[in-house]
Amino acid sequence: MTLATRDSEDRIILAAALARTDLRPATRMQWLRELFARPAGRLAGQIAIVALLLAIWQFGSGRFLPHVWVSSPSAIFARLISWFVDGSIWIHLAATLSAAASGYVIGSVAGIASGLALGLSPRLERILSPFVTALYSLPKVALAPFFVIFLGIGVESKIALVAVTVYFLLLYNTLDGLHDLERSWASAYRIMGARQQEIIRHVLLPGVMPWIFSGLRIAVRYAFTAAVLGELIAGNEGIGFLIENSAGNYNSAGIFAGVFVLVICSVTATQIIARAEKAVLHWRT
Amino acid sequence: MLDGLAQDVAAERRVVLFWRVALLVAILCGWELYGRFVDDTWFSRPSLIFARIWTLAGNGLAGHVLTTLTEMAGGLVIGVPLGALLGLTLGRLPVVAGVVRPIIFGLYSIPLVTLAPLFIFWFGLDLTPKVILVAIVTFFLLFFTTFAGVQTIDRELIENYRLLGATRAELLRKLIAPACLAWILSGLKIALPYSLIAAVVGEMLLARSGLGFLLMFASQQIDMTGMFAALVILMVAGVAVGESINLLERRVMRWRVLSV
Amino acid sequence: MTGSLIKLEGISKTFQRDSNAIMALSPTDLSIERGDFVAFVGPSGCGKSTILNMVAGLLRPSEGRLFYGGAPVDDLNLHVGYMTQKDTLLPWRTVTDNIGSPLELACRKTPKTERMDKIRQMIDLVGLGGFEKHYPGELSGGMRRRVALARMLIYNPDTLLMDEPFGALDAQLKLVMHDEIQRIVGIGQKTVLFVTHDLGEAIALADRVVVFSSRPGRIKVIRSVDLPRPRDVFRIRFAPRFTELHEELWDQLKDEVKKGVDT
Repeated sequence: MTLATRDSEDRIILAAALARTDLRPATRMQWLRELFARPAGRLAGQIAIVALLLAIWQFGSGRFLPHVWVSSPSAIFARLISWFVDGSIWIHLAATLSAAASGYVIGSVAGIASGLALGLSPRLERILSPFVTALYSLPKVALAPFFVIFLGIGVESKIALVAVTVYFLLLYNTLDGLHDLERSWASAYRIMGARQQEIIRHVLLPGVMPWIFSGLRIAVRYAFTAAVLGELIAGNEGIGFLIENSAGNYNSAGIFAGVFVLVICSVTATQIIARAEKAVLHWRT
Repeated sequence: MLDGLAQDVAAERRVVLFWRVALLVAILCGWELYGRFVDDTWFSRPSLIFARIWTLAGNGLAGHVLTTLTEMAGGLVIGVPLGALLGLTLGRLPVVAGVVRPIIFGLYSIPLVTLAPLFIFWFGLDLTPKVILVAIVTFFLLFFTTFAGVQTIDRELIENYRLLGATRAELLRKLIAPACLAWILSGLKIALPYSLIAAVVGEMLLARSGLGFLLMFASQQIDMTGMFAALVILMVAGVAVGESINLLERRVMRWRVLSV
Repeated sequence: MTGSLIKLEGISKTFQRDSNAIMALSPTDLSIERGDFVAFVGPSGCGKSTILNMVAGLLRPSEGRLFYGGAPVDDLNLHVGYMTQKDTLLPWRTVTDNIGSPLELACRKTPKTERMDKIRQMIDLVGLGGFEKHYPGELSGGMRRRVALARMLIYNPDTLLMDEPFGALDAQLKLVMHDEIQRIVGIGQKTVLFVTHDLGEAIALADRVVVFSSRPGRIKVIRSVDLPRPRDVFRIRFAPRFTELHEELWDQLKDEVKKGVDT
């Protein structure tokens, strides 16, 4: 090998090495892409992002924005702990949970019953529909002061607010279900010789279950929201009261802590209903 | 046995209309009679309520309506473009989307109206906290709708258009923009009622003006007539919002370029 | 019993769509004997399904009289079984329950043990052994058709009304179902009214083929299919007589189809 050839060989090797360096950013992107495509990778990414956001929040509070205003993860956590430690949280938790739960049960039963009744009597439904639409268009919160005046400042007025909110949701879901049910199922049964009663029992009632459960699942969140709203507007206990109280005392940590508790309750309850939904509708593929 | 005969349909409509009117009249008359001859302290009566609305109309109602409307409009103007933009851009980056979506979903599971006290705490008494609340609620709704929508664009349809020689601009104009419009519209359908609710909630907590304020002001004085008046006005507002959505939908559907 | 099983005398049907009256079926006469397998072929909207619905008692004729078994059809006809193209199985019930559902009804209440026996028979008949506890969502299209078939047959109706029952199946599966249908119908000597778009299917299965004109539908031609039974549906298309019939009837049909497309 002459010096010249070795030189050009080196040059080739060097060129190749350089080319690979140019290639590297692209493969890095690809590597990242593949990493996040896998569920484990995604989860890691999410945890990383949440951790990052919390870190920024913690760091920024007091430095970029006044601590009084935005609080910080540590302060919020401390507030939460203090609530549990001195036991003050339990009364409020119980109040909100009982309001949400009772209202939910009353509202759903009434809503489903109304939905079925209207769905099975088309003429009645047609007559009542503008009335129902008008009532539904009203922001239900507007009823809160009425309930407080008639039922007092306690949990009853919140139950009423939750019940009314949930009622309309279930009413509409049930009605939609009855409307959207495959007409061919009922026709097939009719040809077999089924009477209207039997069609209702065998086809319509079981058939509308997916819609009813969907409504039940969605309504949980609204039940909690309505309970808290009622407490925000006029109340002396409950998570809403905790939030409003904290706001009145310029305690932003309290507000965030209250909202956090609310979210945990709401999400957990929704998951419970979602599990029940899966169990009952196990035939769904 | 259903044959859809024209005369049957028309007759049915007449019957339904009759009963609707009858029901409305019965409710109003019954209410009025009860109020007049038994007791009107707790439930007031239609004549008083409508008289009050009439008075209000000539004396400040417009101002309250304007307040609420401004809060809604302000929030929508901020929230809709931001939400739609983020939804459309993120929706087309599947990797980023997959990671970020659950986080945004998690944020959305916070009942946003319960943050109203926080915004009032931050921004004080007037319109701003309500506008922010409406903006955030609207943002999330528009984000989710457009985000989901963008991912349903049929890849095959895009490929077909490309094969026919469409440029990027044409693709955007004929296929993607009309679809976006549809998603934004469906997001608006949900966002508009929510914007009313958010504005009213804000006003009920702390305000000097607005329809929610009107309600709370009357309730603090146990002024049942005033409360029912405010309720009726709110109901009309709610129905108006619903109707404007229908109107918007019909208008937009007329312009929409069918992309198939 | 004297006379035909099903008799249509001057039957017509007019529908109201908004303010327009649309005549789907013009006055038609038709007689169908017991044990007849009659196929209705024609373009869409020519009234073939309408006739089936009238025989079932779901629709009333606008004109004319309809007789089943000598008696006029006033109300729901409980002597017929109906199978449509649409999948009408209840998704939340198992194969067993779906098949047994006609026997749960008040009009033919059957005690449980007897019901289970009959269900078992039906499952064997249509060859769904092993799938008793499955849900319709877990079955393929062809298997769901068989469940629908079993549900129709379990109460032993004299007449089967089938409205494009195999329309959604692929070609091979269709042939398999043709074979099944032939076998089953042969066993019970049932009367069948079979609506289809597929002329080949009609000729392969039927004793008589009725070709309808485009809307307003009227009977254009009725041809007896003199192919020997039992037929091998897989190879019947290669029989020369089949091709003759097909050509002849297709000539009649294609004009109507073209007309139908233009309206």
